[in-house]
Amino acid sequence: MTAVLSLKNVTKKFGGLTAVGDVSFEIEKGEIFGLIGPNGAGKTTIFNLITAVYSLTEGEILFHGNSLIGKQPYQIADCGITRTFQNIRLFKKLSAYENVLIACHKLANYKIIDTVFFRYGKNYQNQERKLHEKTESLLKLMGLWEVRDMTAANLPYGMQRKLEIARALALEPQLLLLDEPAAGMNPEETIHLMELIRQIRDEFDLTVLIIEHHMDLIMGLCDRIFVLNFGKALAQGTPAEIQEDKRVVEAYLGKEDDAHA
Amino acid sequence: MSSFLQQVINGLSIGSVYALMAVGYSLVYSIMNFSNFAHGGVIMLGAYIGLYALSLLSLPFVAALVVAAFGAGLIAVVLEKIAYSPLRRRNAPGLYFIISAMGASIFLENFVVATIGPTFRTYPQIFDSKPFMIGDIALGRIDVLMFVISAISLGILMFIIEKTKVGLAIRATSYSAKGSAFMGVNVDWIIFVIFILGGMLAGVAGMLFGMRYTVYPQIGIITNKSFIAAVFGGLGSLPGAVVGSILLGLIETFASVAGYSTYRDLIAFALLILILVVRPTGLMGKATEDKA
Amino acid sequence: MFSWYYISGILILTGINLLTVLGLSLLTGFTGLFSFGHAGFMAIGAYTAATMTMQFHMPLLLALLLGGVVSMLVSLIIGRLTLNLKGDYFCIATLGFGEATRLILDNVQYFGGSRGLPGIPTYENNEYLAIVVFINVLAIVAMVFLIRSRHGRNMVAIREEELASQAIGINVFRYKITSLAISALYAGVAGGLMAHYLGYIQPIMFQLIKSTELTIIVIFGGLGSITGSVIGAIVLTFLPEVLRTFFQWRLVVYGAAVILIMITRPQGLMGGKELNLKAIWRWVKRRRGGAENDSSAIS
Repeated sequence: MTAVLSLKNVTKKFGGLTAVGDVSFEIEKGEIFGLIGPNGAGKTTIFNLITAVYSLTEGEILFHGNSLIGKQPYQIADCGITRTFQNIRLFKKLSAYENVLIACHKLANYKIIDTVFFRYGKNYQNQERKLHEKTESLLKLMGLWEVRDMTAANLPYGMQRKLEIARALALEPQLLLLDEPAAGMNPEETIHLMELIRQIRDEFDLTVLIIEHHMDLIMGLCDRIFVLNFGKALAQGTPAEIQEDKRVVEAYLGKEDDAHA
Repeated sequence: MSSFLQQVINGLSIGSVYALMAVGYSLVYSIMNFSNFAHGGVIMLGAYIGLYALSLLSLPFVAALVVAAFGAGLIAVVLEKIAYSPLRRRNAPGLYFIISAMGASIFLENFVVATIGPTFRTYPQIFDSKPFMIGDIALGRIDVLMFVISAISLGILMFIIEKTKVGLAIRATSYSAKGSAFMGVNVDWIIFVIFILGGMLAGVAGMLFGMRYTVYPQIGIITNKSFIAAVFGGLGSLPGAVVGSILLGLIETFASVAGYSTYRDLIAFALLILILVVRPTGLMGKATEDKA
Repeated sequence: MFSWYYISGILILTGINLLTVLGLSLLTGFTGLFSFGHAGFMAIGAYTAATMTMQFHMPLLLALLLGGVVSMLVSLIIGRLTLNLKGDYFCIATLGFGEATRLILDNVQYFGGSRGLPGIPTYENNEYLAIVVFINVLAIVAMVFLIRSRHGRNMVAIREEELASQAIGINVFRYKITSLAISALYAGVAGGLMAHYLGYIQPIMFQLIKSTELTIIVIFGGLGSITGSVIGAIVLTFLPEVLRTFFQWRLVVYGAAVILIMITRPQGLMGGKELNLKAIWRWVKRRRGGAENDSSAIS
């Protein structure tokens, strides 16, 4: 079986600065894969490389064995990879409902011509109804149905993060990239989020790649973990292995995150 | 050969006046990130102030030039206070500034039409129309004057930007307005300075332009070409604005010589689009990457 | 002075402006792209339609449509070249396009150069008003339908947050160019309508200030609101026409008003909201419910 996602010798340089250097790893289907490392280690850069926001300097990224090189960001989403953003990027002035409804657009295929000339045709009406049903089910799943009419920017932080996940799920992806989903959440919310991520994975048959600083969440949730330091691979293994690893403790856990570890 | 040299000098001369105007656009863009389309109105008023300083007040040329510079500088500052400052307080997006600038430009132009009138006015003749002769090259006195005064004014500007404390603050603010505010730079003061500097140069440019051609309320449309020059060079870059202006001056002059004078403006606008397509941020503009 | 002939004339001009503004509203209000070149698209539509009726005796409606289509085709070329530009630079490029179009027309003798095209067939005012109203009704319905569909929602998404739109699989470039093309189609048809109302066209009618005026109407009405654009077009065409007696001061007031709007109510009349029966009912209910809820409506 080929891996869902594999990075091969991935390198990204900004000018003379190497943000990510020679990073390789593979994620298997159904895994929850953690990506950790100190601030500035290049985690978000890797997300941006996978989703084609940045272009690769060297190396290759494969999705189900097919290269993603040369694709536009929207084509990455079409392939079945969606993401959330570290610094939340919702459609701020729109309601929670509209945020998810927009993202459901791939479930319909009517053309612009149809919107004008066949608006009251069966095809158009059925497709629109499907979008609204999907939106409703996603909002309910994420516990956002009660706040559906609120403007996204006015939602509490934790709910904004969940809304981003709901929006990413609307495209029915195979691989979900979560960039610090628990940032700004209290411990209770974080535990609830862990449950939710597991539930989503099982229900939608997903593979999940997750960046997070909350060590409890990472250690409790992930099947395997990859540690980055200064853009380079530091270690890889199960949570138990990572917690034992001296280099990791030195570079990361020992120094910066005593509290969480 | 001599006529070639003569055209080069003509091109440099008009290009240098464009440069005076273009740096005004670039100064504002470098700090506030928007295209100040009201700048053309300030240039136009500078031309009128210079005209009346010479004809009504009968001031000597240099005094009139100083009056035009300070008058236009003052107008630019007042304009900023009325039309942009409230938007700044609210952190409005750049395009709102552009619309406000367009409103100001419509206001200034038509205010002059309604009060002074739409007719063309000519400057009194203060300089001998007989050209300088260097060998067999004939140099118009006004052309030489335009070039010299522009060069001196730009020199003063460069000195202020490169060598003084306020210049350092301007450069810092153009890198990062937020960052320099943290470092104790008073952004309001910087904005005051760039508007007064840009306005003064606009006044000088307006007066020179008016002397060379004529004065009328729609001069602002012609001065839009200096905006194009600023885009050529890369908005926000002062050296870019100067280089772009000189290039535009030369291109226009040679287009006229080649018999395409009716296409002169068209060439400028076509070049604008071409430059944007080939080099989206101009010759010397700073490229920005959207960060996720 | 306020004869029906005079008023119907203003109504026709309002309809012509409205049609362009509707298209521009899609581009600016809903997709978030600012243009200072839409007078150029009007010019292309006007010259195309006028040539068709004058030289080839084409029926009016067909000529108008053709004018719109030609304008749309030009917009596809312009869009391909310039839509990748960031921020200000796109709007500068549209300014360049608009001015370049005018200057080209200035120099093409087939179109009469700067003196323009006289002798375009015109129509009786009432008949023409009916045509203008008919086209505008179609245009409004089509626009509302488009905006309230996944395509319209995708455009709004691009306006709100481009990167996130990409991340949910929206082909940003394609939607931008579609939006530009539709707005150019509307502007082109409007240009044709203008030509056959006035009976003559000149390049100077399509200069930068015309483009600016159109964008100002969209902003005045409120970005992202069709009703706002409609009201904006009516107010900002009617007022200046009625004030024509104060000819010279009219534009002075206009310029000052634009600045005033930007610094006091930049969200425009409607602030992104639509005016329909539901909204009016909600407003009435809130009034009855007491004043304490009012502040929430503004924020």
